[in-house]
Amino acid sequence: MKAIKDQTYYEILEVSPAATSKEIQKAYERAKETFHVDSVAIYSLYSEKEVKEIEEAVEEAYRILMDESSRRSYDQTHSRTLGEQPPEKPSETQVASREKRAPLSFTDLSFHAEMKRYRGSELKQLRERMGLELQTLSKETKISLKILESLEEESFDKLPALVYLKGFLKSYAQCLGLDPQKVVEGYLESMGESKNK
Amino acid sequence: MGQAQTSNRRMIWTIGGGKGGSGKSFITVNLGICLSRLGIQVLLIDADLGGANLHTFLGISPPALSLSDFIKKRVSHLHDVLIPTSVPNLQLLTGAQDLLNAADAKSVQKRKLARSIQGLEGDIILVDLGAGNSVSVLDFFLMSDGGILVVTPEPTSIENTYRFLKSAFYRRLKQSVSSAAVKALIDDAMDRKNERGIQTPYDLAQAAMRMDEDDARRMVEEAGTFHPNLILNQVRSKKDIEIGFSIRSACLKYFGMHLHYLGYVVYDQDVSHSIRRRRPLVLENPRSRAAQCVMEIASKLAGRH
Repeated sequence: MKAIKDQTYYEILEVSPAATSKEIQKAYERAKETFHVDSVAIYSLYSEKEVKEIEEAVEEAYRILMDESSRRSYDQTHSRTLGEQPPEKPSETQVASREKRAPLSFTDLSFHAEMKRYRGSELKQLRERMGLELQTLSKETKISLKILESLEEESFDKLPALVYLKGFLKSYAQCLGLDPQKVVEGYLESMGESKNK
Repeated sequence: MGQAQTSNRRMIWTIGGGKGGSGKSFITVNLGICLSRLGIQVLLIDADLGGANLHTFLGISPPALSLSDFIKKRVSHLHDVLIPTSVPNLQLLTGAQDLLNAADAKSVQKRKLARSIQGLEGDIILVDLGAGNSVSVLDFFLMSDGGILVVTPEPTSIENTYRFLKSAFYRRLKQSVSSAAVKALIDDAMDRKNERGIQTPYDLAQAAMRMDEDDARRMVEEAGTFHPNLILNQVRSKKDIEIGFSIRSACLKYFGMHLHYLGYVVYDQDVSHSIRRRRPLVLENPRSRAAQCVMEIASKLAGRH
């Protein structure tokens, strides 16, 4: 039982101090989905002012934890609250193998904020925030580098037929821990808008 | 209500939640059948003293003996009121459907009933509670090994559930403290317009800290050991399913409690068909989507037993 102002950034996002960028991203999107004034899930529990306070805390926590140097400095200054030693972040390989081994359970259902569009630039930004190299993504998804680049740069004329594009977008989303359906819908929507311009 | 035990002892699960019509009785009956089919001795107790109808869900005519006979002392032991059902390993204790004022039974009688339920034999006892936040409903909810809230993904249901949860939570905190002043403080906190300006459990803990540090600490500890469970009923989309996780998150932030999201049951026309036929869904149409959801929840509960 803690006031939001007394919670650590990890507590605000409900992740462990050893959370990966991918886990933080997921937790952030879940928190955004939960804490907003029109959220059914918190109906009648919080006042508008309290919701705003949580929203701000979530944004702040996300901003700090997704930036490697800010996070390191936060961990150092809060080492007593977080535990004696600042958490050691697992390597990318460890994370990948851990995630591959974990079976999909009920609690693994992904949550993602209402993002009407997933533009290529936004996907690129998310990928970079997670510290995921395009080459690694290409290896994981078995999608060629050229296609991934076209996808992020929105070079629509260089993209494959729609049926293949959907498959690529799904793989891309899965690798980033995003909701494949929302990414496909969001990307195609922004693609349609660009073509109509 | 402590965390569910993993030992092989008799467990009592109460099924509650503020709103009528959220599907508590449907879930109680169908969960009971699924568990009994796993070889577990299950007792269903209809503690909805004002509107008992578990027997109807099971296709049983109102039995000659019910809880009202026990409350009115026409029978001396609760197990005398138990009736077998057509499902092996499943017995039913019907509610007081013939007693108009059963819901107003004296609290001493309700306490006796709660004690007697705890003395019944069986592996798992599922108690279907009535709607509302009356003290007796809250006490039944709190006496169990696991309280299960049944909620539909609608603002009305969610609002009533939080009201119920808040009442149960504060009642539990009140039971954990010893100082009369802190007990009075908790009573005040139940009113959102209280003069002390207490809006949240955190405000309450702070106010209690100024009165009695030991009691304040006890309250915080108690909040951490309160683990109610949640079933989301009548979900129609993935977004609805996610509401369960959001409720869990909101409870952690607001109350500091760890709510366990047991699972969800999809909206399915087969449910209302089965109720109209007075045949439990998991028997009538076990391959329906809703029946599959109930089975999944039952297997989780069986795993905890």
